[in-house]
Amino acid sequence: MTDPVDSSGYVVSTPTTQTAPENTCAIEACGISHLFGHDVIAVDEVNLTVDEGEIFGLIGPDGAGKSTLIRMLATVLAPTVGDATIFGDSVATNPAPVREIVGYMSQSFGLYPDLSVLENMEFFARLRGVPSDEIYERIDRLLGFANLLEFMDRRAEHLSGGMKQKLSLAVTLLHEPQLLLLDEPTTGVDPVARREFWRIIAGLHRQGITVFVATPYMDEAERCTRVAFMDGGRMRLIDTPENIKASVPPELIGSDEDRPSMEAAFAYVTRMIAEEEASERAEAAEQVAVEGEES
Amino acid sequence: MRASLRRILAIGSKEFIHIRRDPRILILVLVVPLVELLLFAYAISFNVTDVPTVVLDGDKTQTSREFITNFEASDFFKVTSHIDSLSDIDDAFVASEAGVAVVVKPGFSRALDRGEQGQVAVFIDGSSPNTAQFAQAYSTALTNKLGAEVTVEYMQRSGVDPTQAGGIDSYLRTWYNPERRSADFLVPGLIVVIIMIVTVQQTAVTLVREREQGTFEQLTVSPMRRGELMLGKITPWVAIGVIDMIAIAALGVWLFDVPMRGDVFTFLLAIFLFVLCCLAIGLIVSARASSLESANIAALLIAFLPAFMLSNFVFPLYSLPAVLQWISYLFPARYMVAIARSVMLKGAGMEVLWPQVLALGVYAAVSLTIATLMYARRA
Repeated sequence: MTDPVDSSGYVVSTPTTQTAPENTCAIEACGISHLFGHDVIAVDEVNLTVDEGEIFGLIGPDGAGKSTLIRMLATVLAPTVGDATIFGDSVATNPAPVREIVGYMSQSFGLYPDLSVLENMEFFARLRGVPSDEIYERIDRLLGFANLLEFMDRRAEHLSGGMKQKLSLAVTLLHEPQLLLLDEPTTGVDPVARREFWRIIAGLHRQGITVFVATPYMDEAERCTRVAFMDGGRMRLIDTPENIKASVPPELIGSDEDRPSMEAAFAYVTRMIAEEEASERAEAAEQVAVEGEES
Repeated sequence: MRASLRRILAIGSKEFIHIRRDPRILILVLVVPLVELLLFAYAISFNVTDVPTVVLDGDKTQTSREFITNFEASDFFKVTSHIDSLSDIDDAFVASEAGVAVVVKPGFSRALDRGEQGQVAVFIDGSSPNTAQFAQAYSTALTNKLGAEVTVEYMQRSGVDPTQAGGIDSYLRTWYNPERRSADFLVPGLIVVIIMIVTVQQTAVTLVREREQGTFEQLTVSPMRRGELMLGKITPWVAIGVIDMIAIAALGVWLFDVPMRGDVFTFLLAIFLFVLCCLAIGLIVSARASSLESANIAALLIAFLPAFMLSNFVFPLYSLPAVLQWISYLFPARYMVAIARSVMLKGAGMEVLWPQVLALGVYAAVSLTIATLMYARRA
């Protein structure tokens, strides 16, 4: 482990993770659903368990309901039906303690463009109730961790895409959360910055922080301990990246590779799911036809 | 409680940074109101003088010339030309070269000499009602005065002592603004209208901007409560609004000699409450508006129209239809205009104005609560 992140000394939540009991569920969703208006089902009865210490990846096409699911887990949006608990606290009925332990990074840049890096950090630290005598020590540590110390006085609007995302992450870490909910944190960021961002995530993970991340990138999904594939508001598949890749029949793997890429594996899995659904629909239609004849 | 105060202060100081970083806002809130005051106070004048007047002297005698001289000597009329035919009046009115035409009919002097009625006609261009109203009053007064002189002269010539005749003597005094200066009438109302426009606009965009920037979600997941957000948002604007309003009032007093006769403390308290009301209206707009543009337009409509039309600022409330009078109670401007005028011109204080001040206080509390509730429901 020669990761540069380790040397920066991010020591956030070691005490809290030590006191937490073994095998706690970071997230436990039970039939959580969200409807926009009366007929648009964004998230459809999702059941999900994420253990403490996981990096859990969420993938799926645009409009699959990933953001809506994350926003419900972050208590930004109330579930229409169902519920989820974050370290035992319900997002629907008891959001206050959930907000204390969750760090949420939305898909859009959730910072004030006209405020400097430092001012953004100061504002959110105060809003989060970080004790006055700890604020600057914590800001220094987090900005150092995100390699942003030298840009402290730059206005957020003048940061590069990658730096903006690192600043967003630093802001979500101010209150020392145990669970990070990241909604496509690296979309629109160049590959180098993307790798750096993931090094930071890996560092946080090693310190015991649970990460739940939506991503459109398969190489990022491959770094996760488990991956969920979401489509049409439903969870289609939850498994480890290894198992997903292993599920691809050997004859479909190209001769020049000894194992399928994550991308190929997902293309395959997606096709399988679609075929399965089509046959289910056909069966259902047949059933209706048969019932019609009988009556 | 302390944590709550800390969060309100955190939001307040953040808002101050936003304001400081945006020179357009600073110009808008500090310079524009002063310019507006100057423009309005100089441009809107209800004092009418030097109305261009044409004269048609059909008699051309010494008596008719004396009669016309009286018009020429008045500050109100300014005789611009002498014309020869009635059709010239049409031309002068159509071309807006004259607002009043005075016609002395032929035989004017002969009729007076015989003790009959001398005939004059005054035509007034009614397309600007204010001027027309003044012109009518002035010319009636002037001809009455001249007519009375003629009568006295005639009585004296007939050997009757005019002082023996009875009559009615009216004693007219205009209170609070004896010279009836427009500035005294306008400035106290203008302060209210200008501040309403400036402040409503500012808070109207503030919550919409948080949503558009995506910062709103970060606020949601913090321990902050909605009410704290509202209070934090308005903190800097209360300060700016109050300072702004005092500056305009002071400028009115200093530059336009508008008196400040009443209780300054009552005035300051009312200003504070009024600014709160305006900011709360802005927040209500912001809680509902879907974009910055719609927030801006809604704020302008809500701030400008009622402040201008339903506040007693220019149009007297008692002459409005009853429905509009009721509606006027829904906007804070009418209370503040009443307070500003009473304090500045009439020397009033809390003992008279407490109902209006109380109304502003209740208005502020209710509208802030509504804004908070509406914002909560939206998200």
